[in-house]
This record gives sequence, structure tokens and C-alpha cells, in this order.
Amino acid sequence: MSDHMTKATTLGVLDRKLLRNRNKIIRRQPTLAWYLFLLPTLIGIAVFMIYPLAESLRLSFTKGADEHYVGLENYASVLESGTFWYSVYNTLYITVFQLLIAIPVGFIIACLINNLRRGANFFKVLFYLPNVTSIVAAATVFLAVLHPDGPLNYVLQLLGFEKIVWLSQPLSAKWGAIILSVWHWLGFVIIINLANLQAISSDYYEAASIDGASRFRQWQYITLPNMLGSLTVLFIIGWIGGLQRFSDAYMLGGLQGSPARSLHTVVGFIFERGFGGNEYGLASAASYILFFFILVFTYINTKVTKMKI
Amino acid sequence: MSNKSTLKMTGTLLLASTMILSACNNGNSNQTVKANTEPAATEGASNAVPAAEKPTGTLKVQLVGDFSLEDKTDPISGKTSKGVKVLKEEFEKQYPDTSVEFVLMGWDNYNEKTQTMLQSGAADVYQVPGITTFVEQGLLEPLQPYIDKDSYDLGKYLNGQVEGWKVMGPDDQEPQIYGLPFIGDARVIVYDRQLFDDWGVDYLSESPTIEEVLDKASKMTGKNPKTGEQNYGLTFKGSDAADSVMNINESLGGQWGTGFLWKDMKLEFNSDTMVQALDLMKDAIKYAPEGVMAGQGAENFLTEKNNIAINLRESPGFINNLANLGLEDRYEAALLFKNQKTGMGGMFAGSPFAIGASSSNKDLAWEWLKFSGSEFFQQYMWEEQRSQSMPVIKAAENWSSVQEIRQMDTIVKQMGQLWTPRYPYRSGQPRYILSENVERVLLGELSSADALKKAQEEATKWLAGQQ
Repeated sequence: MSDHMTKATTLGVLDRKLLRNRNKIIRRQPTLAWYLFLLPTLIGIAVFMIYPLAESLRLSFTKGADEHYVGLENYASVLESGTFWYSVYNTLYITVFQLLIAIPVGFIIACLINNLRRGANFFKVLFYLPNVTSIVAAATVFLAVLHPDGPLNYVLQLLGFEKIVWLSQPLSAKWGAIILSVWHWLGFVIIINLANLQAISSDYYEAASIDGASRFRQWQYITLPNMLGSLTVLFIIGWIGGLQRFSDAYMLGGLQGSPARSLHTVVGFIFERGFGGNEYGLASAASYILFFFILVFTYINTKVTKMKI
Repeated sequence: MSNKSTLKMTGTLLLASTMILSACNNGNSNQTVKANTEPAATEGASNAVPAAEKPTGTLKVQLVGDFSLEDKTDPISGKTSKGVKVLKEEFEKQYPDTSVEFVLMGWDNYNEKTQTMLQSGAADVYQVPGITTFVEQGLLEPLQPYIDKDSYDLGKYLNGQVEGWKVMGPDDQEPQIYGLPFIGDARVIVYDRQLFDDWGVDYLSESPTIEEVLDKASKMTGKNPKTGEQNYGLTFKGSDAADSVMNINESLGGQWGTGFLWKDMKLEFNSDTMVQALDLMKDAIKYAPEGVMAGQGAENFLTEKNNIAINLRESPGFINNLANLGLEDRYEAALLFKNQKTGMGGMFAGSPFAIGASSSNKDLAWEWLKFSGSEFFQQYMWEEQRSQSMPVIKAAENWSSVQEIRQMDTIVKQMGQLWTPRYPYRSGQPRYILSENVERVLLGELSSADALKKAQEEATKWLAGQQ
């Protein structure tokens, strides 16, 4: 900086002030332009997300075609409804078993694929294909797979088990939905695990080998700890997706989650009350309760898994 | 970035945003509908009315189902059916200076889409099978003034078709006409005559009782004496079981309840006849395939490979399946269970047309409603849209194309004996509550009396909450 600029003359101070202001304006101008670029997106978010959310909140305090204000009555009705709690039970039941089966199985398959010298890509594609398929199409196929005379029963009978009429009994219908969801989600679990497995530095394994660690010990002490991050992510994503479950259960069990509401999920409850009976206020209240559930479960999950978001 | 270029960029973006937003605005400003100030035609769709008296303008008609504007070919039958442009051309010919625009949508979430359209005034005429809900909200136009003004003859429609669509608006004391039928529908019992022959069982009577059906179904469950394959006496759709139970209940002298609006409604879900009907349905499941509760096991019904003697509820579209496979002589239809005293039995179904309260061209919309009851319109529906429509006018009974299909006689009779107005309890939770409890009985979880008592209590509690 030159001497004359640092002199504390009145003129010098004024000059610097002007210069600072000018620089500030110049700096601000591109920022404003970027906000303008963002404007369409912001308008989209406001119109298609914030407004519906606010409208749904308003509706949750109303009832009937005239939308008269009823306070917390809808929330109370939902929480008092046996059907709602049964739908919560169904949702949790299917989700818990989906996660308990898909994550470990997906992890093991990913480890096996990762160790393959040839054909790894073939297996990646093979396992990931179901996940690309629309769940509606997949569920339609599973209606045939779970048919009393379908391929699943054929295999079971070959193995000496008795035929199961999968979708006609509440318990087996739930397991039908679990099998479908595991089949559909497994590819995603494998791909995420593979991505993480491939990111673990081979130096660790080389060092462990030099130290004489067995393959199992390497897996136990190197692979597993390094995989915790993606397993946690899968667990949380799975929970959120599971709580929002609708399409697969709807396809297998219809609007009411037949038989006897065994496939009625929370979103199914919202759908039936909202679109099946035009109880939009109650359906909105149930949506906010579901939102609260997801919030609480996600919070607990992140705390339990010590995940940093 | 210089000041000048920033200013340019800002100006361009603002201009673009304005254009995008104005393109999004599909409000009334974009509509070409002319406000109609002319008097309505006095003779319906008749060409006798001087053109000058006919309303003009653009008419937007919403249609739900498998409609298309242009001709299309059915992938199974290979038959090409004419698109709804036929209706547009004929209407525009009868009503010069008008233009018909269709808004065609599938059955998925049609009620929600219609609701949105009604609220935004997106059409003039709507196909509204879920009419009750829209009328409750005051979204549809009452039709009685139009009927009176034109002395429109409702006697042209099949028995019960107009009554079936009557509903109550916010200020009505009795159900009123808000929609006129244009698509007919009904469920009928369908049976396989070949299986009856194989087992040496007499065919079903034209109007069988539940006892007759159960008796014959029991005789035809087991190994077919001729083919040796496993046969089942009957089938039904598990998720529709509650409708069959209600139909049996009606035949035993019971009814679903009384009233129309939620606040006036009294349900009779746990009446003696309902318990009896559910017990009979429990008997019926013994003769059905194992997957019946999940709608499985009856896939071959209406085909050559069928192994089920009777289907308790089949939609009229089955005549198309028979025609496609050349099995017209093998399958026969019988009437749903009916109350011998009233002669009524079965749930009303189909689709009416209604005029949106927000329509800006209601007189022209009314002309379309009348047009939909004309022989031209109904014959088009019958000839070209048979898979989704049965005729709703009496004149259809004389059409040779109707008479040559043997099962049509039963279908038309069935449409004339449907319970009207439609079971109003099916518009809300009572329908689902009843269904769930019927399923629980059929799964063996509850007794009929306990399940129906539970259904009655839950549904009554729900009704009380609607006051």
C-alpha cells in the first residue's frame, strides 16, 4: 500500500470510505444475480412445498366440506383410532424385518462381490436391477410370485414345506410384503456398501496381512469399523422410507390393506381417510403425526448410531 | 461482472420469470368460453330447435376411464373402436357455433382430480361417479330447474337409473337430481354351464337365492367327474365380500340402514339378517379357491381353462371377454340376490354427467347432458365403449345388437333392480369398517355376531363424530 493512502488526512479517509462502499456494491451485485437465478426454484419450493405444508396444517384443524375449525379434534381422533395404531404396528413390523434382513444380507453380498476378481460388475447389475424397477411393477410381479400356485410356493414345496396362501392370511401377507421390500431394496444396500468397501484403503489390509491377521480378523477389525458410516446411513434411510411405506402394501393389499387390514400402513391410513372418505382434515392431522414420528425416530436413530448430520 | 451486464441479466431474468408465471396462469383469462346470454334450447338435442336459440361457445367435458379422442385398437380383440371425437363432431353438428373440448383422465385418483377441477372451474361437464361428495360441497349444479324448463323426459332412462344418482346438497331436505346417467353398470352372478353339465347340476335359476347358490356350489366342489381336475363351487372378490354380504342381507329382507346425510344416518350392520347373511358368506368360502380373500385362484374364470362354477359378483364387461374368446355359449348370467317383496337387490353403479357450479356455460352443459341420453350417444357408448359402459336408456332393449347377446337380458334386468339411492354409507368410513369386520369373520378371527356388533359400534361412533 502506498504512503499517501495510509495518511490520516480527511481526504484520505473519505477516499477509503468511498472505495470500501464501491467494493461492497461490486461484491454484492453478483450475489444478487445468483439469487435471481435461484428465484424460480425458490418460487417452486414456496408454491409446491411450503404452501401445501401450511395448507395441510390448516386443514388438520378443520373438518367437513365447509372446513370448519375443530381445534385438535382430528389429532385426537387419529391417536384414539385403533385402526391407526394397527397401521403403525404393520408399518413398523414390515420395516423392522426389512431392515433386519436387507442390511446384513446386503452387506454380506457386497463383501462377496468386492472380493470377486471377475464378474463383479455382472453381479452389481444383477442385484441392483430390482431397485431400478418401479415398486408398483415389482408388486404386480409379486402378486404372481406369492400366488398359492406361484413359484415361491413351488420352491417351498420342493424343499418339503407346506404350501402357504401368502396374501390370504394376515401374518403371511405381512411376510409377503417383507419379502417384496427386501428383494426391491437389496440392490441399493449392496451398491452403497460396495461404494464404501471400495473406499477403504488397501494399505490397512496389507499392513494387517504383514502383521499376520487372518481374513476374518481383517474383516472384523478393518472392514466393519470402516463400514459403520454407510450402514448407519442405510439404517436411517431405511427407517424413513419404511415409515412412508405405501405403494407395495397398497398393491398387495388394496386400499384397506386386506386381508383384515394386515397390510394397512400409516400412509395407507392417510390415503384411505383422505381420498377414500374425503376426510381431508383427519388425513392432514395423520400426516403431521407421521411427520412427527419420522422426526422422533430419525432423532433417536442419529443419537443411537452417533451419526453426525 | 459490470454494472451494465448485471442490469441486463436482471432485466432478462425478470422478463423470463414474468413470461413463465403468465404461462402458468391458466385461469379464466385463457378460457375462450363465451358467456351465454341466449335462451336455452327447448327441445333438447333435437335438430328441430332453431339454431339461433341454441347456446353457443366452448364446452369442456371431463371424462374418466379408458377414453381416447382418436380411434384405437384393442390389443386383445384387435377391434378398433372410434374415439370420442365422434361425440364432439355430432354435438358440434347439432349445435352450430359450439366447440367441444375433452379433458380425458384415467380412473387413478379420479375423485381428487375431479375435486381439483371443480374447484378451479376447469370444465363445464363432469363425469362424477363419486357425486355425493361434490354435491355436499355445493360444487355441482342442481338439474331439476333445467329438467322442468325443457320438460325433459326422464322416463327414457332404465328403471332406477335417475334415482340411483340422486344426492343431497347442503340445503336439500330430500335427495335431488344433480347428475344424469350416461354409463350403466351392475354386478351379476355369472356361471359356467359346462361345469354344471360336467357335474350334472341344474343351471342356476334366473334369480337364484343364496341357498340355491350354496347348494349347487357345494355339489361342484371337488374333483370334476369328467376331467378329474379340482373344481370350486364359487368365487368372489375378497375385498368386495362386504358388498356380497349386504346383497344377501337385502335378499333376506334386511337393509343397510336409513338416511342419506351422515347426520341423519342410522346403520343396521348388526341386524339379525346381517348376521345371517355373514354366516351364509362364511359357508360360501368353503367352496371357494384358497386364495379367494386375496383375489387369487379365479384367474381362469371366463376362459376355456376355468375350474370355478359360479362367480358371485361379475361386472357386465364379462360379455366382452366371452366375445373375445368365443365362449358366449359357455357362460350364463343370473340376477344378484334380491328381496322377493321389493324386487330390489344389488349396489347401484355406473357414471352420471353433472354440471359444475362454476361452469360459465351451464346452458350448453345442460344440452350435453341431454345429448348423453340420446340414442346416438348411447349407441356410440354401446358400440365403441362396451368394455366400460352399458346402456342406460330403455330404447337399448330394442337394439338388435343388444338382443343378440343372450346375457344382456339379465344385465339390463339387473340394472333395473338396483338398490337406490346408492348405499350412502359407502362414501365414508362405515364402508371400510364393515369391510374389515366381514374379512375378519371370513378369516375365522371373529364370529359374525361379534364382528357385526363391533362394526356397528365403530361406524355409529364415526357417524356421531360427523355431526
